[in-house]
Amino acid sequence: MNFGSFLRPPPLDPKLKVVGATAIFQNCTRQELETLQPYLHERHYLAGEIVFDEGEVGEGVYIVISGKFSASRKGVLKKKRLGEIYPGECFGEIALLQATPRLATVVAAEPSVALAMFRPELERLAEARPRLGFKVAIEVARLVAQRIRGLIEGATEPLILS
Amino acid sequence: MPHERSLEHPIIWAGVIAATLGSIVLLNQLAWLALPLILAVVFYYLVQPFLIHLQHAGILPGQALAIFLVAVTILCGVAALTVLPAMLNSLAQFQANLPETMTRLSQIAAEFLRAAEDRFPMAKRVGLAAGLEARLDFFAMGKGTQFAGAAALFAFKWLPSLLLVPFLTFFFLRDGAAFHRLVMRAVPNAFFEKTLLLFDRMDRQMRAYFKGMFWLTVLDTVTLGAGLWLLGLGQGIFTLTQAMVLGLICAVFAWVPYVGTAVGGLVAVCVCALQAPHSPQLLLAVVMLFLGVRLLDEFLYTPATVGRALHMHPLVTVMMIFAGGMLGGVYGLLLAMPLLGIFTVLGQMFGEIWFDPRLRARHTARNLLEKRLASNDLDL
Repeated sequence: MNFGSFLRPPPLDPKLKVVGATAIFQNCTRQELETLQPYLHERHYLAGEIVFDEGEVGEGVYIVISGKFSASRKGVLKKKRLGEIYPGECFGEIALLQATPRLATVVAAEPSVALAMFRPELERLAEARPRLGFKVAIEVARLVAQRIRGLIEGATEPLILS
Repeated sequence: MPHERSLEHPIIWAGVIAATLGSIVLLNQLAWLALPLILAVVFYYLVQPFLIHLQHAGILPGQALAIFLVAVTILCGVAALTVLPAMLNSLAQFQANLPETMTRLSQIAAEFLRAAEDRFPMAKRVGLAAGLEARLDFFAMGKGTQFAGAAALFAFKWLPSLLLVPFLTFFFLRDGAAFHRLVMRAVPNAFFEKTLLLFDRMDRQMRAYFKGMFWLTVLDTVTLGAGLWLLGLGQGIFTLTQAMVLGLICAVFAWVPYVGTAVGGLVAVCVCALQAPHSPQLLLAVVMLFLGVRLLDEFLYTPATVGRALHMHPLVTVMMIFAGGMLGGVYGLLLAMPLLGIFTVLGQMFGEIWFDPRLRARHTARNLLEKRLASNDLDL
């Protein structure tokens, strides 16, 4: 009889594994990821379905679990495609810090699944678990800073700065 | 922007008022279920801050709940062994003494009224003292014990409902987040963020209301308790603890707007009348104290606690409380404010969603996509 299997923790939820791989949550421990689970809302999108519109007030971040999303901005004559977002990436992270208008429209390019985290819920989590809240907030700030730098240097479009 | 104007729409306002009053009627009809549910929600919001404090210390949510349950069980056990026998004893004594107490009270009241009649002839013409004596004969004849028996039966009838309260509170605390996620799953993608916002606003509203009520009760208890203790100091009526307990009882009565303060005041006057029967000045001072606390409540405590939490116009508040009282009695008086708060937020958010053509268009587009997907391989 293998007693080691009793002591080993059950395998981590595959969705949480993807969450743990995203830039925002990369420094979270397994226990912290499990604490986050009740705050993550699973959403299923059909190909062509809009996740959010440019200009709409943002309330949370989306972490891509499966499928593909594409982001675009209104151009002078036609829409300007900003790029694609794949599993393990996130979009809309500024909304985790502040309720500001989204900078891009995000549409599901194929049937996709995303986990959404809502700003007021992150605030509540930070109230109860300040260390975890700080970890998430600092990673969001880092990601935003990195994207702003990329934007200034002309390397990237404000793809997910929404 | 439809966001700020959504609540100004007459349909939304009418809906908010109708939903509040309708809920009062419904809850009044289903009182056996509504009472434990409401109490469980109250306890949920009162207990949650403690659990958050525990989690703040690094304890996991499940462990925090377990620690709280163990602490409550130990406290209940200790209370059952120490306070409960004394309380039951006092209750039995109270029931045995009730007819005599009521007779004494009626005598004191009649004496007081007779003195008033001597001073004011108009009161004599109305026959205040005689009328009161006739009404309170009911207790003097010994029927007060029947009244106490009926009250005990009433309490026994409510016992199963009240036993539900700890169970409901436990499950609210344990599975609240999971239930919230389950409800959110049913919300269409187009309305998801707005609905999450709605739930958050509602939760904040409820939390603020119950937190406000808690602090209002503390302030009322301290003010009334200290006031009663100081008033009775000269005649040695109360110890500080007794005064605070009486203050707490009156503060709890004050949860029922307007009527509650009057009932609480009457209880305090009766207690003082029994302790110091020949001191009308004391009774007058107690009445003045209650009037003073009522004014403090109205202009200082409530705006600083509950009022600030609900952001309601006083006229709307008073009208809704009276309408609630008319439709649902004590339930209506108690629930009018919190229900109005909840339905105002609901109405506001419904307006924001319903009057946003873009969100509705996105939802319609999703339905069309779904339909197209379902009929892809069909030769239509």
